[in-house]
Amino acid sequence: MAESTDPFLGAKGVASHSTDVRFVLETRGLTVRAGGRDLLRAVNLSIAPQQVFGIIGPSGAGKSTLLKCLNRLIELTPGLRVSGDVRFHQESIYAANMDVDSLRARIGILFQQPVVFPKSILQNVIFGTRHLGKVPRKEWPDVAERALREAALWDEVKDRLRESALLLSVGQQQRLCLARTLAVDPEVILMDEPTSALDPKSTEAIEELILQFKQRRTIVLVTHNLAQARRVTDHVACIAVHDGAGQLIDCAPGDELLGDAQGDEVTAYFESRKRSKPEP
Amino acid sequence: MRRFKHHVFRFATGACVVLACGVLVLIVLAIAMRGLPAISWQFFTEQIRLVGADGGIFYNLVGTFILIGTAFIVSAPIAVGLALVHGVYLRERRHRERLTLLLYLLNGVPSILFGLLGLIVFVKFFGLGKSWLSGGVLLGMLILPTVTIALIERIASLPGKYVEAAAGLGLTQSQIIWSVILPQSLSGLVTGSLLGLAHAAGETAPIMFTATIFAGATFPHAIKESPVLSLPYHIFILAQDSFDPAVGAKLWGTALTLLGLVLLLSLVALPLRLKIHEEAHHG
Repeated sequence: MAESTDPFLGAKGVASHSTDVRFVLETRGLTVRAGGRDLLRAVNLSIAPQQVFGIIGPSGAGKSTLLKCLNRLIELTPGLRVSGDVRFHQESIYAANMDVDSLRARIGILFQQPVVFPKSILQNVIFGTRHLGKVPRKEWPDVAERALREAALWDEVKDRLRESALLLSVGQQQRLCLARTLAVDPEVILMDEPTSALDPKSTEAIEELILQFKQRRTIVLVTHNLAQARRVTDHVACIAVHDGAGQLIDCAPGDELLGDAQGDEVTAYFESRKRSKPEP
Repeated sequence: MRRFKHHVFRFATGACVVLACGVLVLIVLAIAMRGLPAISWQFFTEQIRLVGADGGIFYNLVGTFILIGTAFIVSAPIAVGLALVHGVYLRERRHRERLTLLLYLLNGVPSILFGLLGLIVFVKFFGLGKSWLSGGVLLGMLILPTVTIALIERIASLPGKYVEAAAGLGLTQSQIIWSVILPQSLSGLVTGSLLGLAHAAGETAPIMFTATIFAGATFPHAIKESPVLSLPYHIFILAQDSFDPAVGAKLWGTALTLLGLVLLLSLVALPLRLKIHEEAHHG
């Protein structure tokens, strides 16, 4: 991780890489309203650094909405009102003086469907780097190689960096998107069901990468695949619809919550999952 | 009975297509038959002689290209600005609808009124006299709604995932505009401009008091008091004089040239537009 020079983090951002700060991201009473309805209600989460934090729950419970609140990408969706607070290294990201764009460079995101730009592979990898303008042009190839290696894609594409990224398989495209995010060197990566569009082999590749990343980064992984949550997460939060709004039902270390399900909603959720789709 | 109605309806709609094609074919044939004999290399390269009864339309072509070129340069940046206001900065639907309504109102202003406006503002108030610049700016304003609406539609059809992905990397709004929105909507600007310019090339009313004369102009030498010749005004004047067979031949030759120019601009725009639809489906 590069030493932080972002104005809003300053000395505190550097300090956060040591262990004296317990949580990277915290939500306090996070509520999202659409029209007169709560999509999410009063969610409190504390995410510790260098771990994989899983968010599980049925479809429509607001998992993706919650994820997008963590780097304020939610603001691109019109008609939503966010209240409560999200803190990144103890600083409110919804504060008036927050530099949202720098924040999003520090908290990257990977979507369910890979979003590659209709450009070459190389152009896609350095897309964020070049437009953020913090790295000189002559270092772009190095940035691209490092990011592609970290996303385990370098060997597959090193001879065809100038080809269109649209020619890659969906699994490769998703790793390309991961490389594009890594090229900006984010401290946290939010992942919104990153493997649900992928075949088992590509899924395995992404899961292996997630486990490697947590040595240096914090991962927040939304998934509706409980087997996946068991394989890669350290800590799990379960979100489900309760009283007409998505709410936090349970939050515990992964093996605790997933090994020995507690509480009605979690049990019901597990039961319905087992009925509809047996675990592999 | 229901099948019969169905067939009648299909026949009626088919007849509408035949009618529309028929009108186009009739116009093209009528003008081509009369105009083709006048067309020659000299017709395009010589200047007008004998008050339109002899010579060619070189400076009329030059003038029309100068006018529509200026119209493009004037309208393109304003259209980009308006389309960005519509697609990026206005967040409320009802404000966007108001902007669209404004554009349709502007589109409905009769072109002769643009001509009168130009006479008052450019020719008199700014003292430009008859000038290519006045005409070009007026034509630019005339086609502004066409260009802007094509661009707005293009920006609206951009998949939101690109903007989201760019924002997720930490790009600012202006960086997103330059790196995602503008490059991907460029084809909308080109298509809209070509269709607009095809329209502008044939307009007579906005330029007849402000920019164009019948004879005696060559390349513009200045901005003030510097009119150009043009194709549509040439047709307008010759048509009033067409009892002379020599003038008539030149008239139809000019008409065929203008028709060819306008069809060419529209035809170039069409494949581009189809390409856009294809991208929207695969994107």
